Amino acid sequence: MFRWVERAALPAGVLATLATLAVVFYYPVATVLSEAVLDAGRPTAGPLREVLTDPFYTGVAHHLFVDPLGVPAGLLDWIARGFPDVRLGLFGFTAYQAALSTVASVVLGLPGAYVLSRYDFRGRRTLRALTIVPFVLPSIMVAVGFVAMFGRTGLLNDVLTGLGLGRVELLYTLEAIIVAHAFYNAPLVTRLVTTAWESVDRRQVESARAMGASPLSAFRDVVLPAILPSLLTAALLTFVFTFMSFPIVLALGDLRLATVEVWVFARVQALDLSEAATLATLETVLSLALTYLYLRYEARQRSTSGAGQSLPRKSLTVGWQTLRSPTRLAIFAYGVVAVVVFVGPLLSLLVESVTAPDGSFTTAYYEFLLAQQASTAVGTTRPLPAIVNSIVYGVGTLALAVPMGVVVAILATRGGRGSRLAEAILTAPLAVSGIVVGLGLLQTMVFGTVLFGYRLTAAGPIAIVAAHAAAAYPFVTRNVAPALGGLESRYRDAARSLGATRLRALLEIELPLIGAAVLAGAAFAFAISVGEFDSTVLLAEGVDSYTMPVALERYVNNRSLGPNLGPATAMGTVLLLVTGLSFVAIDRLGGRWEP
Amino acid sequence: MRRRTYLKTAGAATIAGLAGCAATPTGNGTDRPPRATIDGTPSGTLTVATYSSFTGEGTAGNYLKQAFEDEYPNVTVEFTVPANGVNQYIQRKRSGASIDADLYVGINTDDLVRADAELDDSLFMHSQDYLDRKDALKPALEIDPQGRAVPYDTGYISLVYDESAIDAPATFDDLLDPTYEDSLITQNAQQSDPGKAFLLWTIDAKGEDGYLDYWADLLDNGVQILDDWQPAYNAYMNEEAPMVVSYSTDQVFYGADADLTRHQIGFIEDQGYANPETMARFEATDQPALARLFMDFILQPEVQGQVAERNVQFPAVTDAQLDETFAELAHEPPEAVTFDYDELQGNVEEWTDEWARQVASK
Repeated sequence: MFRWVERAALPAGVLATLATLAVVFYYPVATVLSEAVLDAGRPTAGPLREVLTDPFYTGVAHHLFVDPLGVPAGLLDWIARGFPDVRLGLFGFTAYQAALSTVASVVLGLPGAYVLSRYDFRGRRTLRALTIVPFVLPSIMVAVGFVAMFGRTGLLNDVLTGLGLGRVELLYTLEAIIVAHAFYNAPLVTRLVTTAWESVDRRQVESARAMGASPLSAFRDVVLPAILPSLLTAALLTFVFTFMSFPIVLALGDLRLATVEVWVFARVQALDLSEAATLATLETVLSLALTYLYLRYEARQRSTSGAGQSLPRKSLTVGWQTLRSPTRLAIFAYGVVAVVVFVGPLLSLLVESVTAPDGSFTTAYYEFLLAQQASTAVGTTRPLPAIVNSIVYGVGTLALAVPMGVVVAILATRGGRGSRLAEAILTAPLAVSGIVVGLGLLQTMVFGTVLFGYRLTAAGPIAIVAAHAAAAYPFVTRNVAPALGGLESRYRDAARSLGATRLRALLEIELPLIGAAVLAGAAFAFAISVGEFDSTVLLAEGVDSYTMPVALERYVNNRSLGPNLGPATAMGTVLLLVTGLSFVAIDRLGGRWEP
Repeated sequence: MRRRTYLKTAGAATIAGLAGCAATPTGNGTDRPPRATIDGTPSGTLTVATYSSFTGEGTAGNYLKQAFEDEYPNVTVEFTVPANGVNQYIQRKRSGASIDADLYVGINTDDLVRADAELDDSLFMHSQDYLDRKDALKPALEIDPQGRAVPYDTGYISLVYDESAIDAPATFDDLLDPTYEDSLITQNAQQSDPGKAFLLWTIDAKGEDGYLDYWADLLDNGVQILDDWQPAYNAYMNEEAPMVVSYSTDQVFYGADADLTRHQIGFIEDQGYANPETMARFEATDQPALARLFMDFILQPEVQGQVAERNVQFPAVTDAQLDETFAELAHEPPEAVTFDYDELQGNVEEWTDEWARQVASK
């Protein structure tokens, strides 16, 4: 009987995962995307053709769709004219800024992973836990922090002019968007690569060295192949995220820097759902194709890393000699840059929350939060329920997303024909824009779906947790799959040969061995739930199920203290504190769990 | 940054007796349901859909709820704040979902145009002719030829500028002058009310055929187009530029004691673009009489004064009771321009789209 349950558990998990996804992801998204290819129920290519042949969207590439036969001649003509600038169009510009953002994120994130995985210093584990914090910050908050840090009158310019170095004018430029994207995604690079770097088996490196390899070639032959998949995962995720970037471009850019996603949002606002859906479909196809290509690559790379002992860490500071070590000096220089980009905006946010517009110290914004908490007025957004809701949904998401993510990771590591495709499809929540998911949920769950003559609606906490889990589980998978794939199969085989079911082998042997990766995924799931805004705001409508980011957005619009962001920065500080503590807790609690 | 003073107004007995009130429709011949009436004491729950800054502590919405419930103890007013505004109800009606609200407070002219363009049947029902207070409305603010959307306040879009840094431009052409290079911040007309109002104002000034050329020059002169009012105003306060498109009630926020150097109001061409905010009853409401009673209540002189001050807008009626400092600090433009329903219908979408494409191609 129990064996039967154990045997059925895995297939049941797969089914439950698929069912959840169907309800909170595939069906809602399909209702939106179908607008692009259906006209009154009949298939149509009209909207797609219109977008592809419009130079505004596709720039010079529109010739491919208008007059494919004329392309070679056009290309020759372009070369003959000495490669003049070409119009990129909205898609081209979006890809261009995403590529720059990805490069910036990797350049900024990789040294962090090196330092965190190879050096020991006080507070290393806390710092490692906190790398996830930028990821959860609602963009409105990041925008406030960026303005306070990089604005004309911001902290950076104050310091620069104080040192007699002149000003930088950064805001509302492409550079600002790229730095903000790096703020969000470089910690992702750091985190994913650190996890991989830490699980490089020291025995492999040591045997390479023992066989005469130089440190550099040991790195190239052993370490690099082990961390490359995670680096590429991070780069791909960054590219996809920044390709679909929307709130940051709206908040820190000028309309001149609009991306495809900004356009989708504007089309939705204008209720031009057909054009919005067409743009979203093209965007989704592009990011799914990238995901698929990446997964094929990753599958070939698996099974390089082991679950043995991790590499020994060096001490970051070695007394006075620290100043003579070029590597350490470079690390400190990197530290300065990291402080400016990561700590600067957050610090500026904290400073804003206790600073009146005239620059004096004030506690008015925290008093505002207390007054909101004490208020009896209907429609008041109270901070405490927001904090409690955020944590409850976060824990709920964790409980749902970790099993879902592990299930998909198992499917992914089993391989077989079409498994990459299946995995790409199951990873789709990463590749579909928040606006499309939000709109789909609105049209299906919030408005309700008519089935057998009954309108079924599911708003409220359950729907929020389900939506969060659908957004979060691919991160669990992306953390767990490589580790699971890298696990030597003899552990599992031994367990199986001793009579353990597949489930028991998984629960008792495999998962504990890759505890660090599961925890990293769990932290992501929690983080995504806490920071999620788009679908929460739709599903939390009219009820008391608002979260911290939703409360924050409402305080932005609350003008009872005049037109300023003080109350929002105070709420942002609370959010920062709660999430920061949660991740340190997840990481620390996880430490006991690690084998 | 002070909190605006809360004036306690005991809901004065200015409301005429209700029971049995009836009037014959005087409309333009379209089919209208008769004026809904209430027998006995008004009671029940009135669900008001609105935007988020209208609700919560210290807001016009919260004041209205309290004052209305004090006046009619058997009535409960509930607010609902749909995440995507009027669009929520347009989409609901289009997909056959229920509309669980009686009244929408906060409709712009272009919202109404969009709702009518997207739907076969009207989302809202007629109200204007059935209101006891209809004669007090400022005629210039009446945007709906069908009398469904009734104004309750209005803002005038103008420039807010720093007089220590710059002089106010007198004309739209002045804004193209090198003096004003990189000086102006405005908002994205696709999703921001003041941004859209500013765009429409330039269309009024430069004409349908001339506004795109004008904007090309404006972009060359370094105009910044940010997402919405809050980020634009925030950027202005952080000295990213010395001028911002905002409202002519700007100084009301700060009060007479504040240093108003950075809160000067500039009326280009001696104009301001009027952006009336309106309210309308949902066609689907099962509380038409109560909703009408609420609309009449909002239009009472002292309630209008409160709504204007708390919402930092101008009242929609001629006899609003306003605080003296409000009158002093809120500047009305010498000439108000606005596009009415008929002018926006069939145009506003294309104008905005063409504009946005031109900006994004830059």
